[in-house]
Amino acid sequence: MEHQTFYYDNKIVKLFAYATIFWGIVGMLVGLIAALQLAFPIFNFNLSYITFGRIRPIHTNAIIFAFVGNAIFTGAYYSIQRLLKARMFNDFLSAFNFWGWQLIIVAAAVSFAMGYTTGKEYAELEWPIDLMVALVWVSFGANMIGTIIKRRVQHIYVAIWFYLASFVAVAILHIVNSIEIPVHFMKSYIVYAGVQDAVVQWWYGHNAVAFFLTTPYLGLMYYFLPKAANRPVYSYRLSIVHFWALIFIYMWAGPHHLLYQALPDWAQSLGVTFSVMLIAPSWGGMVNGLLTLRGAWDKVRDSAVLKFMVVAVTGYGMSTFEGPLLSLKNVNALSHFTDWTIAHVHIGGLAWNGFLAFGMLYWLIPRLFRTTLHSEKQANLHFWLGTLGILFYAVPLYWAAFTQTLMWKEFTAEGILAYPNFMETVTQLIPMYITRVLGGTLYMTGAVLMVYNLVKTIKSGSIEENEKAEAPALEKTQNLRLAGETIHRWLERKPVQFILWITIAVVVGGAIEIIPMMMIKSNVPTISSVKPYTPLELEGRDIYVREGCYTCHSQVVRPFRSETERYGEYSKAGEFVYDHPYQWGSRRMGPDLARSGVVTGKMYKTNTWHYNHMLNPRKMVNNSMMPAYPWLISDDLNTNYTAKKIRVMQTLGVPYPEGYDQKAVAELKAQAEKIAAALKADGIDVSADKEIIAMIAYIQRLGADISSATIVKKEEVVINFTPLTDAESIAAGEAIYVKNCVACHGAVGSIDTKGLVGPSLFDDQYIHGSTPNELYKSTSEGVPEKGMQAWKHLLAQKDVEQVVSFLISSKK
Amino acid sequence: MDEKLEKNITLKDENDKLMIDHSYDGIKELDNRPPPWLMWLFYITVMWSALYFGYYHWFWQEEVAPQDSEYLAELKAADIKVADLKASNPEKYNFDETKIALLNTPADLDAGKALYAAKGCLACHGALGEGNAVGPNLTDEAWLNGSTANDVFKVIKHGNTAKGMMAYKDQMSNEEIVKLTSWILVSLKGSNPPNAKAPQGN
Repeated sequence: MEHQTFYYDNKIVKLFAYATIFWGIVGMLVGLIAALQLAFPIFNFNLSYITFGRIRPIHTNAIIFAFVGNAIFTGAYYSIQRLLKARMFNDFLSAFNFWGWQLIIVAAAVSFAMGYTTGKEYAELEWPIDLMVALVWVSFGANMIGTIIKRRVQHIYVAIWFYLASFVAVAILHIVNSIEIPVHFMKSYIVYAGVQDAVVQWWYGHNAVAFFLTTPYLGLMYYFLPKAANRPVYSYRLSIVHFWALIFIYMWAGPHHLLYQALPDWAQSLGVTFSVMLIAPSWGGMVNGLLTLRGAWDKVRDSAVLKFMVVAVTGYGMSTFEGPLLSLKNVNALSHFTDWTIAHVHIGGLAWNGFLAFGMLYWLIPRLFRTTLHSEKQANLHFWLGTLGILFYAVPLYWAAFTQTLMWKEFTAEGILAYPNFMETVTQLIPMYITRVLGGTLYMTGAVLMVYNLVKTIKSGSIEENEKAEAPALEKTQNLRLAGETIHRWLERKPVQFILWITIAVVVGGAIEIIPMMMIKSNVPTISSVKPYTPLELEGRDIYVREGCYTCHSQVVRPFRSETERYGEYSKAGEFVYDHPYQWGSRRMGPDLARSGVVTGKMYKTNTWHYNHMLNPRKMVNNSMMPAYPWLISDDLNTNYTAKKIRVMQTLGVPYPEGYDQKAVAELKAQAEKIAAALKADGIDVSADKEIIAMIAYIQRLGADISSATIVKKEEVVINFTPLTDAESIAAGEAIYVKNCVACHGAVGSIDTKGLVGPSLFDDQYIHGSTPNELYKSTSEGVPEKGMQAWKHLLAQKDVEQVVSFLISSKK
Repeated sequence: MDEKLEKNITLKDENDKLMIDHSYDGIKELDNRPPPWLMWLFYITVMWSALYFGYYHWFWQEEVAPQDSEYLAELKAADIKVADLKASNPEKYNFDETKIALLNTPADLDAGKALYAAKGCLACHGALGEGNAVGPNLTDEAWLNGSTANDVFKVIKHGNTAKGMMAYKDQMSNEEIVKLTSWILVSLKGSNPPNAKAPQGN
């Protein structure tokens, strides 16, 4: 057989390894800043670029896409060439992949700091960067598939299966979850609205964890673990079973992020059941990894590389058990919106992703530079610092999660919330947040030690950028199955068919969940009182998205007594039909805001309160950890794109009237003037063209539609009121008036209401109608948006009848 | 296929059992059967999922969807519990909001003062009750919602939300609101703090 000579591209591996190390440190540092901000709000520095709402997406994206992403490319570019006995298909694609990815990372960090974000977790990138991601990711896939085509090994190994699945799935997820219509160069609206957006987003979000943080890493594990331990893979059959089960089932589990939220029950149940079915396929990876170490456990004692890998694989097993646990609705009812989720992802991130990357680097760098590791001792120290760091990070957060969720749900014997002030449930967590900073610091100290160790190692050796290798050429084999060849073995030498089956496996779950959500109307029952946002509210909403408010505030009330008592009516799917993007959030560092615009509700605050709160949260709420937003007060609202935004919304099906875009700015200004005037009445001098006005308008709109819906419903109650005329009732009515009404409407018979809140009731003009039925209604049901209370909650029906009768009698 | 009958390959004889032609950059593979406990775990979770989905979606008989019925049951259970408690001690719980009697023992007034800080009243009414941009002055003689004990009790308990005054009925018991009302009317009112806001109301 002919032996062919070729050269491995080690340079590209080196570049990706350097990028992994660099972005790892950057991502951890940003995480540390975020942790500090939660313990001590002063670390927000009143600086828009680094407030928590913008820092948090920088941290998550830097860790996921920069650190883990580069680690994936490092390991994949090294192992693909060796497993296929071929140089990468195309050097230009390799370089394009590397430089393109780094450019994306820099563009992401800068744009997030500047407030350019789509407001969808882990998919915050704006559309031009989304396009770059798609292009670079496809170039990676093309490069990999090209290499597979020109391989010199008959069968593709399990690590390659996982790389292929990751490539196919991430490409689909990223593209489907990023279909946006641009407003301008750095602003777009996602095409999906509300519940549909939520389903697509978490189909993406969950599977970004699956196919970016998990499957490529399983590929790395299947290469680097047997290599480092010098042991055969425990079970080929287990590889097959868990690979196909994992990639098929994973795609269904997304709705577990939306349990008890405004999502149809059937979709929630799919999220629950498919998450539970994920335990065994996930553990298949852990079991195959750990059993591969059979007979090599003595090596773990001495080798830092194996220590890192063992803890990584164990961490993977722990978080893939915890994930299904958190997907049970009764557990999720406790865990969701708390730090439990944060602890969970950090077990995965710090142990599985971090430690496997460290193990890989400690193994790879000395080989790449043809030398030995500078200090095994320091690597072991890194391992222990990292492990302690994980414990100090996770344990306090579990503690914080239980503390907070139990406080949220606690009622007194008399049936009122034991901790009705949300802030009380946050101040309790501060000591845990400080401990978390310590954990993160320990973990990062270990990583810095690794950088030193690896730099020393690199300096002591030299790299062969094009490493010579030899292998026999690939023999042509027949297309059909050979005698005794299993189907899967046959598939392993038919990469195109293999990719086809992967695609089918990953497409099914998402399609079954997403398509009915779009097509079948009953999944999102409409609510007629829900209307599109006004232009000012829309601009305010864009500021809400820009500032990353969703990183701390949810906008979805779950059907629990503890939530409807605290926030108000639970959220319905039909409320969100004009929300591009949806903003339900996934953590409540602050209270839910879904009902903040319900004037009679528990969450309502006045414009003046919001103004003061944005300027300095700690002035209004003791111990608040919210950053201050002084720039909302000093910066002018940009209305250059308002008309365009309306047009884009119209394209997306939001029913603004034809030609409304031309009137939008004028209406925006009129609404802003009203809010500025109301603030002025309270002594706050702020110009109507500031951003704060739009933000207040948006907050005051949240939940207002559905609360007006309940009022509309009550209007349907036919009031048939005949005034009482007997002297006793009239006298009683007058007494009730004196006791309850004079504060706002003035003394009996008074026409002069200057300085009073309400209009006179003794002149001839009635704002809400003067017939007995109309008077009865405005008294009984109130006019909350004007300040008139619904007195039926405060007075007996007889009292209301008497006071209205008194008013009617006094008119004569 | 004789390996189907094979149990786990022991370390001793694994060199003979390595899969021929499975070698990838030196990585070999064994053909151990997947651990039976793991496979059983998988089958059990699949069966559990079928039962779960069946119970909630195919065999669900109630008119209300599972999630809503769970919510309604929770509310009902809580209502019954609270009603039982109130029935057990009518003297304490049949509270007449139109007959608020001010308290004036130092202990009660101190408790009222503590509530003023704890419930965040000072955010809108100032640390000394002097009022600020949001809320009115509580130390002068002018009152927007009435100045009697009943009035003050009522506005604290039921609020005047449109004007920015929250309803505290979900945050304080009647006894606590009486203590707070007492402190405001007995100690705070007429205290002349610095920077007091101009009078509002009558």
